[in-house]
Amino acid sequence: MTTTQSGAALDPFTLEIIKESLNAIGDEMFVSLQRTSQSPIIYEVLDYCCGITDERGQLVAQGNGVGGFLGTMAFAVQSTIEKFGPAGLADGDIIVTNDPYSGGGTHLSDVSLVMPIFVEGDLVGFSANKAHWTEVGGKDPGSWTTDSVDIWQEGLQFPCVKLFNKGEPNQALLDMIEANVRTPDMTLGDVWAQVASCRLGGLRFRELCERHGTARVRTAIAALLDYGDAMTRIELAKLPKGVYEAEDWIDDDGVGKDPIYCRVKVTVTDDEFLCDFTGTAPQTRGPVNCTATGLDSAVRMVFKALTDPHLPANEGCFRALKIVCPEGTVFTAKRPAPVSTYWDSMIFAADLVWKAMAPHVPHRLAAGHFMSVCADVTFTIHPDTGKPAILVEPNAGGWGAGCDQDGEGGLVCLGDGETYILPIEVTEAVYGIQVDRYAFNTAPGGEGQFRGGPGLIRDYRILSDDGGFITSTFGRHKFLPFGIDKGNPGSMNAVEIIHADGSPNYLAGKTARYGLKKGDVARLITGTGGGWGDPRSRDRAAVLEDIRDGLVSLETAREVYGLTDRELAGLG
Amino acid sequence: MRLATDIGGTFTDLVYLDDETGRIGLAKASSTPPAFARGIMDALRKSGVAPESVDHFVHGTTVVINALTERKGAPTALVTTLGCRDVLAIGRGNRPDIYNLKFRKQEPFVPRRRRYEVTERMNYKGEVVTPLDLESLEAVIAQLRADGVGAVAVSVLHSYANPAHERQAAARLREALPGVNVTASSDLTREWREYERTSTAVLNAYVQPVASAYLNELAADLRAEGVTCRLNAMKSNGGTQTFEVLAEQPIHLVESGPVGGVIGAAAIGAAIGVPDLITLDIGGTTAKCTLIDGGAIKITTEYRIERDDRNAGYSIKAPVVDIVEIGAGGGSIAWIDQGGALKVGPKSAGAVPGPACYNRGGTQPTVTDANLIAGRINPGYFLGGEIDVSIDAARAAMEPVADAMGVSVEDAALGVIRIANANMINALKLVSVRRGYDPRDFALIAFGGGGPMHAAALAAELRVGKVIIPPAPGHFSAWGMLMTDPMQDFIQTAQTAADDANAAKAEAIFASLEREAVAFFEAAGADPAEVSIERFGDMRYAGQEHTVRVAFPGLLQTFADPVASFHGLHERAYTFRLDTPTEILNYHVVARIPTVKPAIAPVEAAGSGRPKGSRMVDFDGEGRLEAAIWERADLPLGTPVAGPAVIEEPASTTVIHPGQRVTLDRMGNLIIELAG
Repeated sequence: MTTTQSGAALDPFTLEIIKESLNAIGDEMFVSLQRTSQSPIIYEVLDYCCGITDERGQLVAQGNGVGGFLGTMAFAVQSTIEKFGPAGLADGDIIVTNDPYSGGGTHLSDVSLVMPIFVEGDLVGFSANKAHWTEVGGKDPGSWTTDSVDIWQEGLQFPCVKLFNKGEPNQALLDMIEANVRTPDMTLGDVWAQVASCRLGGLRFRELCERHGTARVRTAIAALLDYGDAMTRIELAKLPKGVYEAEDWIDDDGVGKDPIYCRVKVTVTDDEFLCDFTGTAPQTRGPVNCTATGLDSAVRMVFKALTDPHLPANEGCFRALKIVCPEGTVFTAKRPAPVSTYWDSMIFAADLVWKAMAPHVPHRLAAGHFMSVCADVTFTIHPDTGKPAILVEPNAGGWGAGCDQDGEGGLVCLGDGETYILPIEVTEAVYGIQVDRYAFNTAPGGEGQFRGGPGLIRDYRILSDDGGFITSTFGRHKFLPFGIDKGNPGSMNAVEIIHADGSPNYLAGKTARYGLKKGDVARLITGTGGGWGDPRSRDRAAVLEDIRDGLVSLETAREVYGLTDRELAGLG
Repeated sequence: MRLATDIGGTFTDLVYLDDETGRIGLAKASSTPPAFARGIMDALRKSGVAPESVDHFVHGTTVVINALTERKGAPTALVTTLGCRDVLAIGRGNRPDIYNLKFRKQEPFVPRRRRYEVTERMNYKGEVVTPLDLESLEAVIAQLRADGVGAVAVSVLHSYANPAHERQAAARLREALPGVNVTASSDLTREWREYERTSTAVLNAYVQPVASAYLNELAADLRAEGVTCRLNAMKSNGGTQTFEVLAEQPIHLVESGPVGGVIGAAAIGAAIGVPDLITLDIGGTTAKCTLIDGGAIKITTEYRIERDDRNAGYSIKAPVVDIVEIGAGGGSIAWIDQGGALKVGPKSAGAVPGPACYNRGGTQPTVTDANLIAGRINPGYFLGGEIDVSIDAARAAMEPVADAMGVSVEDAALGVIRIANANMINALKLVSVRRGYDPRDFALIAFGGGGPMHAAALAAELRVGKVIIPPAPGHFSAWGMLMTDPMQDFIQTAQTAADDANAAKAEAIFASLEREAVAFFEAAGADPAEVSIERFGDMRYAGQEHTVRVAFPGLLQTFADPVASFHGLHERAYTFRLDTPTEILNYHVVARIPTVKPAIAPVEAAGSGRPKGSRMVDFDGEGRLEAAIWERADLPLGTPVAGPAVIEEPASTTVIHPGQRVTLDRMGNLIIELAG
């Protein structure tokens, strides 16, 4: 029997069934939001998460499709509790927040809805979700940009306010949203989808309380969090104790050219996993900053990978995790720093911990991957409809080699997950551009005893007489995916513009509204992952296979892998 | 005489229905992999059915799914548009196993060196941007000759809109490479999304040599035995098609086995006036569920094999009955995780070694062992007494679980059943609640060896009012195949605003698909006058991705009715409706040849009308009670029997909980009514 201070006794089987039911609520909320959303970034890219917390805002269960939102909803709930207090919340209230600096926000496009759940007048928990709105206003269409210099350029801010009051919508706020975003129908459609998902979570939670009694559900929640903690500590105990460090540079901030220094010191003890980012550069003028919420999610992602990647996440899974970072760094930016492309620095923070730990935990971590979301906004006028077409998307790239496996090619980055890349046929029909090529990037890089997986090349040809533009942020353009144990670094991410008029190509990691004329090609290039081990010790037969598959050139085979002419004769 | 055969891992089932008497007969033989035809011949001989009397033959086969999962297909090549060689390997770029930073992507069925590009290009409107360059094709042909492949898939961009290049290339490949199977993607699906369509073509090509050899061999054996009628196989869409057609399009056989039960369920629902059903098929390894809404079976083209919460799987864009399958069956193993929590499945003891109680080397406790300990299974009558089960072996296997949880073996067994039930409840919710359906509006129909054992408890949890256990639930999939018609889907992606100005254009697309359908059946040897057509459109709000399938009855003159039903269906599936324009994305014509299904003879009350005994059975929350034990054949016709009771028959056991009542109806179904 399991009991807690609330005193309700539970047999181990009922406990297990309530635990699974709680996890199922997060999943069901997730499916509901996916099915009701009107924006591709939600239903195709799955750039959102859903979940429930207890009455103190501790994450109980989360449904997520991408890596980057791990645990961020709990902060939104906690800031709601802080602002309103239990007494200030009523049945039917729904709170909206996107404050990056304190409200559990990341950038303004990620908007959280929080709904208190009451059973017989008692606050028993919260259902919440956070979703990327395609439009939240600001200076550029699509809201995120690579050259904003303060938060006010980045869109509408929701400082933890009530969207619903006791079940009644706050019409004034809805009207404000409608007036301040470029795609009001889509944005408001997603508001309703988020509301429906919150309400579904509340309904299922109340049903669970009716079925088993609130006290037992509370007991099960406590047990579920303890279980998350216990399972995590079992894995933590298997990690090598010690102090591990890594440093690296973010390419630039989008406005200036200077690289941005970042470092981490990871201390693994019997009962704690401490990540100290002290020494990381201050927040920047351009919008690559992330805030403490993003840093927290970042470290959680790698901690999850290091402990138990498959255990459903709850607050208990992170009790053993501690994060230290002074205020005002590029990972802990303060108001009014711009944060619109926060994701690459967030993933960069995760990548640092990954880099520090990978050599020591080779059964869990591979060498560095292409790392960046490689997001682009490609704007044109659809030649057949004459209407503006705005394509906003992440890109897939190469993943690093492991100590016992080659890296995989063409996968979305750590911050994404169950994220679907748009098909060529859909892209051409909907956005009126032509995709000339969608193929593996076989540029050199990532060689090793085990080689990194290839990145991708995706060519967009502009068909409209009115041309268009591309805004993009492809991180790791200057500082490459890391190799391990003499494995070579991977190759760079880049956007290359091939001009129809024959003027020289333009190659960059970040572009802000780069103009495109009819016939110009925007080539989206993602990097190959890092290699693991000395390329010269790679199995000769494996190199020959890669040559046959066109992934490795004869030149690379000779010069990097060290194959002799005699060995190459094996190609037949 | 209608005859159906269904091949399982252990047994080959044969069911026949005498058109004149309405009498149903069963026969069973051991499956004989890899020469499955022998098992069918054995079952046919055992049944005593005269081969020449068979006028309708349907076969359910796992040959395609086995060739795919065991990677036993032919070396295959791909021919695709310049620049698209890697589409097959990139897939959609997704990583379902989000926090696994050593994620392995599933290997494509065609390695990069056998993925070839030809110069050609269509746009999304189906207009030629670059004509097919025959020289580039000839260069590929030279390579293919050198490779010595057994099959080639051709899939080029926008072939759903205009298949001309694909057909031209396929024709040339067939001509140049005699003996090599060539699949054109547009012959299988005319839906957009190049990865999904290419994958479909590749998997079809990969299995085609194996599947066509199998079907040809089986046909020859059946002919030698004296069967003269047309030979049909069960397709994943719930219909049948001839062996000849399926030898070209074997990918339609991918879910050939499991759909029989769903068709059977719909047939029973129609016969007894219960059109809204949730089906539950519990076998040794998995539980499969689907939902039948108003007699209509849900079909999806979003199907993937080998997809789970950690793997993206391989797309097959062929219409498949929408079945949710989870790893919870009789053989599912109970285990304790590192954190001390009890889990059941998805690992299964399978048929070999089987549950611990089989005494065939299995030592881990399974759901079947738990049911035996709880008294729900009769140890002396398992599979009609064909297998001797040992309750001591079951208890011995359950002991470590009991020790870990600090409870008795009996309580541990109940715990295992409860957790297995909770897993099955989740699967049942996936097909109902999660798609906007309230289970209380449905009856549950349960079959497979384990379905009847768990159904009543699951129904109580879901607050379903009625449970149906069909006759011979262990052979139900084969029985269902007797109720099928020849059927083929014709789907075309063509984004069209649902505006009456487009009505003539939409009507023309439907009409063209219908002509294609009629010509297809005519070529397969059917009378074109017999072809029956249903029209559907996958509709959505403009700007959205998600579609719902809407019926388009009759000649299309206005969109008023389909749009109205679209709003309703959309609201049911997605909770809201919008006041924005709607459009058709895919046109879908379902063509079938309706066959006359003989009436099923009513059951005569032939049994004793008395239980054969009683024993103590553990009903979990309701306690350990003395339950009447009935032989199914002894139940009185039409008179309710109150629970607690257990109804036994050779391949299955039905558990009736206290407060529930069960009635044998005139068709031989058990109808369980739940209180409240």
